[in-house]
Amino acid sequence: MKSALKWDVIAKCSTTKARAAVLNLPHGPVNAPVFMPVGTQGTLKGITPDQIEGLGCQIMLNNTYHLGLRPGQELLDACGGAHVFQGWNRNLLTDSGGFQMVSLLKLAEITEQGVQFESPHDGSLMLLTPEHSMSLQNSIGADIMMQLDDVVSSLTTGPRVEEAMWRSIRWLDRCIKAHKKPESQNLFAIIQGGLDPALRKQCIDEMVKRDTPGYAIGGLSGGEEKDKFWRVVSLCTDLMPREKPIYCMGVGYAEDLVVCVALGVDMFDCVFPTRTARFGNALTATGTLSLRQAKYKDDFRPIEEGCDCIACKSYTRAYLYTVVTKETVGCHLVSIHNTAYQLRLMRQMRESIIEDRFPQFIHKFFKDLFVERSAYPEWAVNALKSVNVDLLKEGDN
Amino acid sequence: MSTAFTFDLHQSGAGASAASVARHGTVSITSRSSVQHGPSTKKRVIETPGCLMFSSKGSVPHLTPDNMRLQAFGGVHVSLEQLLHPDQPASFSKWPLASPFNSSSKFTLAEYLHLQDLILMCDLRDYASFSAFASPSSAASDAISSRLLGPNTDRYALLSTPKGVRQLTMDDYLQIVRQYRPDIMVALADNIVERKTKSSESQQGPAEKRVRKSVERSLKWLDQILLEREGQDGRMEDRRIEEEKKRRRERKEKKRAAMVVEQQQEGDAPEASSKETVPEEAESDTPIEIVPMATEPWREVALFAHVLGSHLEAERIMSAQETARRKGVDGFVIDTSALTEMVEMDQVLKLVEASVEHLPSQKPRIVYGVQTPEDVLRAIALGVDLFDTSYPYHLTEDGKASLYGFGEDPSPESVSAADNSSIRNNRWINLWDDEHGDKFVPIMEGCECYACKGGRHTRAYINHLLKTHEMLATVLLMSHNMHQYGLFFQHVRESIKEGTFEKHSKAFHETFGKEPKRTAEKHQAQLVVEAALTKRNQRLEGAEEAVVDAIGTGEKLVKKRSEVEGVEADKTEKKAKKEGDATTQEQQ
Repeated sequence: MKSALKWDVIAKCSTTKARAAVLNLPHGPVNAPVFMPVGTQGTLKGITPDQIEGLGCQIMLNNTYHLGLRPGQELLDACGGAHVFQGWNRNLLTDSGGFQMVSLLKLAEITEQGVQFESPHDGSLMLLTPEHSMSLQNSIGADIMMQLDDVVSSLTTGPRVEEAMWRSIRWLDRCIKAHKKPESQNLFAIIQGGLDPALRKQCIDEMVKRDTPGYAIGGLSGGEEKDKFWRVVSLCTDLMPREKPIYCMGVGYAEDLVVCVALGVDMFDCVFPTRTARFGNALTATGTLSLRQAKYKDDFRPIEEGCDCIACKSYTRAYLYTVVTKETVGCHLVSIHNTAYQLRLMRQMRESIIEDRFPQFIHKFFKDLFVERSAYPEWAVNALKSVNVDLLKEGDN
Repeated sequence: MSTAFTFDLHQSGAGASAASVARHGTVSITSRSSVQHGPSTKKRVIETPGCLMFSSKGSVPHLTPDNMRLQAFGGVHVSLEQLLHPDQPASFSKWPLASPFNSSSKFTLAEYLHLQDLILMCDLRDYASFSAFASPSSAASDAISSRLLGPNTDRYALLSTPKGVRQLTMDDYLQIVRQYRPDIMVALADNIVERKTKSSESQQGPAEKRVRKSVERSLKWLDQILLEREGQDGRMEDRRIEEEKKRRRERKEKKRAAMVVEQQQEGDAPEASSKETVPEEAESDTPIEIVPMATEPWREVALFAHVLGSHLEAERIMSAQETARRKGVDGFVIDTSALTEMVEMDQVLKLVEASVEHLPSQKPRIVYGVQTPEDVLRAIALGVDLFDTSYPYHLTEDGKASLYGFGEDPSPESVSAADNSSIRNNRWINLWDDEHGDKFVPIMEGCECYACKGGRHTRAYINHLLKTHEMLATVLLMSHNMHQYGLFFQHVRESIKEGTFEKHSKAFHETFGKEPKRTAEKHQAQLVVEAALTKRNQRLEGAEEAVVDAIGTGEKLVKKRSEVEGVEADKTEKKAKKEGDATTQEQQ
């Protein structure tokens, strides 16, 4: 199918499956691997568009379900889409709305037609079809839009998983057919198939035939064992076309990002950094600081030494201790820091891939975060070993 | 490094009249430091009439330091009771000597709050917590209501900090000034914080006796502070009184001990007790000698003093005259926030006038509690120089966006279309109103604030942000409302310069009338949104089960999510790195 993106791989890690690339989208270039902050309702938690740009963010997420409810399709059409609506001139990615249906709504029921759910307004029965999802996402005007998929929890086993996989393929066909603006918006397919390698392979075979501009690994991050999670990711990146971007949905913890980049994933999103900021938790290379704790009362260091975000350049932990969870400014500051942290982590990975020293980066990253090798998560050690990085052997940094 | 506070009044233009003593001036803090390449001079200024930015816990509400600096105000007002920890000033010993951000400067409050490039003024009490106009600001709500405070004493004033009520002695005050070194510090004053319980009495205000005490005590404290600022011992008298008290106490104890002995020995040694009284009398004859203590001067901190007197004109005049006599005082504070609860604004302004008349003209006066543009204009006409930005903050909290203007072309927009709006006026619109939902225009055409500039953020978008409970709503509203308030003052200054202040003030009153009374009631749309949020949160719990039904998984999913949210909400720190809470990672 038509594509409105250009995917240029500029460097490949000689040890792992990691790669550095530029994803050229209608609203400008995106350096990959990339973390996409989540601005659910057309805004990133109190951070202004200028501040987000200032952090070097080139692509942000919006949620179709939420924008479809408010401001609604009519208003989005009236103002010319979500970019204009929120004053954001860089790229946007929207999900299909299916995940929210299933996770937030009462009595969501999935039929061949679509996802049936109770209206949050009046309790009446509503139906989200692949066609309706496409129509909404066309109105939003996101640079990347996601197909409506049949979401099953990664903990599900049995025939339901296979049913969902085949249905997602059928829905992809309907999405492709319903997509009105393939020349300006990129539709990504979502690989389903649970934790079953055979189903994942079948799904990839079918979806690759549809030749969408990019692919996402769906149905993970649902509480499955991490050791199963990485094996599915690795299987998918092995089987997916290498000339297209690969997006792993809902992944955002630092160690998950590092492992998944090593496994060959290019794009990520997660609400975690900004959500945890609202509880006063600041992310750093050496772990999370819970700034509400009294131990920071007389700590006159910035959140993270060397961070150039406005929180770290302006304030000490001691001051942040007095405002987090009390003043909206406290929340904005930690959100800005956490977003800066995530984007910096991605930038550092990208640079190390380009300079072909990504394995050294991985060693240092784990040492900084977990200190003792005994504390390294076993799944991460296994996952990295599968791409020739042995965390427990010599740390040649 | 040395700093100097100055206030320069500028010649006002033609058209100044007896009806207005409005004046235009400049408050400046000049810092001289000798760095590697010779001496350098930095000047920070506030043009008057002008404003200090209202702050909550040391930050301008909703504005991160970068956004705050998009505003044209040259200074920030900080109420220390919002910031002081219970163990301060003792725990100042843990503060680093040099700023962690700039090793060549001392770690002052300005460094701590990242306000080095602005003029920082500190007072102790949070005047916003007194005011009838007070909003449910986070600082005010977590501070204990000032109504619960008891009366101040000669030894200490009471502060309402986030961790509870505390006493602040003169000693504490002086240590705080020496550590914080703000550009302008307000002298410790006996502001009347206690309230009568009967509403009829509080209507009349505090008793005359209490008001007089407050004036006298504040003057006594001011004299002590003025001495200390020059490096002289201002507390010798306090120590003499302490010493006298101590001796009296000791005498009493000795007497009591003697009596106990007497009772025990009664009968077998009666003459012992008469011997005891001899040394006691001898001791009380030794004169109390108080040796002056060496103190560190802090001349570089400008000192402002409260002019008190509550609602009593005679006391106001007394306080103004006496305070004005103190040469070391650099400026005056007239706090009307408690008055606005007692009397109408006309009367408040009369009391301001009574105070201002007796103050030296060459020193600046700041008023707390006069906020709305029309009241500000009246106070400026009385010769008030400085205000604060509570007004745009309060508008913001209500979802209001200002449209008023001052000068030749105030360009009031007709907002009569506001059918759903509860109150009609042309000074602001309430963006909670449904009618703005499809208005893809900026709050104000041509406005250069961050929100409006280039039409980037529209009324429809801010309406959406309010209704979705998103924090960017107040960021944008605050940017706009603060910008317009700043512009209002800029135009007022220009009109004073050009001699058109009275004419434009009159036009302002005619065009915009009076601020509609602000009530504690929330906008209808806000109530709906908040009710929906509560419902959604309840539904979220229900949805957990629905997820299981719909997708057919085991209980792990449900457990994980509730675990995560429970942990986030409570105080343990483990949560962030838990593997299992990937459940909540997905977009919500």
